[in-house]
Amino acid sequence: MNLASLAARNVLRNKLRTVLTVLGVAVAILAFVLLRTVIWSWTVSAEYAAKDRVATRHKITFISPLPVRYKTQIEQIPGVTHVTWASWFGAKHPTRESDFFQSIAVDPPSFMAVYDEIILPAAQREKWLSNRQGALVGESLAKQFGWKVGDRVTLAGTIYPGDWQFDVDAIYTVKRSSLDKASLMFHWDYLNDSIDARRKDEAGWFISRVKNAGDAANTAKRIDTLFDDQDAQTLSMDEHAMNASFLGMFSAVLTAIDLVSIVILVIMMLILGNTIAMGVRERTNEYGMLRALGFLPKHIASFVLLEAMVVGLCGGGVGLLLAYPVVEQGLGRFLEENMGAMFPYFHVDAPIAGLALVLSVALGLVAAIVPAYQASKLNVVDSLRRVG
Amino acid sequence: MTPAGSVAEAAPETQALGSKAVVIEVKGLSKTYFRGKEKLDVLRDLSLTAHEGEFIALMGPSGSGKTTLLNIIAGLDRPSSGSVRVAGADLAGMSDSALAGFRAANVGFIFQTYNLLPVLTARENVELPLLLTSLGSAERRRRAETALKVVGLSERMDHYPRQLSGGQEQRVTIARAIVTDPKLIVADEPTGDLDRDSADEILSLLRKLQTEFKKTIIMVTHDPAAAESAGTVHHLDKGKFK
Repeated sequence: MNLASLAARNVLRNKLRTVLTVLGVAVAILAFVLLRTVIWSWTVSAEYAAKDRVATRHKITFISPLPVRYKTQIEQIPGVTHVTWASWFGAKHPTRESDFFQSIAVDPPSFMAVYDEIILPAAQREKWLSNRQGALVGESLAKQFGWKVGDRVTLAGTIYPGDWQFDVDAIYTVKRSSLDKASLMFHWDYLNDSIDARRKDEAGWFISRVKNAGDAANTAKRIDTLFDDQDAQTLSMDEHAMNASFLGMFSAVLTAIDLVSIVILVIMMLILGNTIAMGVRERTNEYGMLRALGFLPKHIASFVLLEAMVVGLCGGGVGLLLAYPVVEQGLGRFLEENMGAMFPYFHVDAPIAGLALVLSVALGLVAAIVPAYQASKLNVVDSLRRVG
Repeated sequence: MTPAGSVAEAAPETQALGSKAVVIEVKGLSKTYFRGKEKLDVLRDLSLTAHEGEFIALMGPSGSGKTTLLNIIAGLDRPSSGSVRVAGADLAGMSDSALAGFRAANVGFIFQTYNLLPVLTARENVELPLLLTSLGSAERRRRAETALKVVGLSERMDHYPRQLSGGQEQRVTIARAIVTDPKLIVADEPTGDLDRDSADEILSLLRKLQTEFKKTIIMVTHDPAAAESAGTVHHLDKGKFK
């Protein structure tokens, strides 16, 4: 027995109250992990962006196109190993219009060279590269719509109106989180050949891969300098910055979720503080006895603080134990399969789990500061309640 | 223990204890409380001396000041005026933390309501004061077991307080009071919550501590039968010895 174990054993003094408090903390931690995972999942593409890729778009706006011929000039820049281009297509499932997903027209050979994190069987790869109407579909999107390799699907164009038919030639997954698994890619040639002349030979953006990740920022500057005197000037940035600027449009929503997660922790702290304060009131006599035996105010405060930290740790641990199955097996699977474009990776991120556990202990400590101070300042004689 | 002005009552024992070390020396002790604007003189100019191995009972009506006197001698409370020396230490001049250290080293406490921690076994409760020492866990355990043997509870060491009778709980409290081998044991109505048989066992144990272990014991009690166990009985009324 030591001072710490004595504090820990006090936790079980009132089992029902402790269990209820631990559950309260656990639910708060579960909610915190869920909300933080929403934010993480939403921003994961920016966080996990490849460091050796540079995105180039029209200087004025995302939606203004650039001439495809820029590709040849970008390729000439020293350090650039591959360049690909893409155009936003904006397809919708004809019967599930509210299910948003990314659909992009790409140049398959250069796309596969730039996005080397894509994994797909060699036979499917060859088929997709050779079939002008072929589509490469992320495994989450394929699950969402029940698509299989060999299916012919008809999608409604929004930016390029009409019914567009695609052959599902390949289903991909990824070896890094820098690309989601909920997109549909198809041949840019198929799009370019099917639209009227005034929209031909346009690219929504270019993605360049550089030899050294450290050169990405300089390469971005060189690309923009290259087109400074052109009608369509460019804005280039590394992929992380590009994704972050896109997410910036949702910053208010992310901030709101962030705040809610903090409010939940504050509520948790108040619940814990109340429980600890009740325990302190009930044990006034014992604290008086301990002070009489020679224990110092700092010992009494330590008992209270340690007890709160143990409850916080237990609550945090139980919360995480609940969070993993709920997020990984339940909600996460549902979101990835049905809202994969918004939540491509809905997992409990280890740093979030670690943060939740640390916060549950730290907030337990903070919640107990006032009760601990009050307990340490108790008058010994008054605490013993004996006046002759 | 010799209250000033009560020499006649304590004279024989004082003579017998003349060669023994002085454990308690109180001079001109007064204690005043304020309840709002009302001034309450709880103790008035008390002086007394107690030697090693004395067993003293303090009696008196509620509010007479006996527990306040006990608390001041034990280093739990401070006098308003006068000096208090216990085991050679001047308590009136000590800081709070120094007083805590003094209590841990020199005073064993026995409370009416036992004040055992319900989450600890009898042995662990007895071990509690030793947590403040530099002793290792094995030595703490050994000393706690020895103390429990002294009070006749070696068979109940791993029992929790809820598994013990009132008399057994009080014996655990006594073991806790002696485990640090203090010079002084203060007991505040130690038999107040016990039946007659259990009370007699506790009083017999206190006499054993006095005679065999030479502990100086001061006991507050309302029970005349308990007071008879003490070598000296002093009556307090309105803050003065009668």
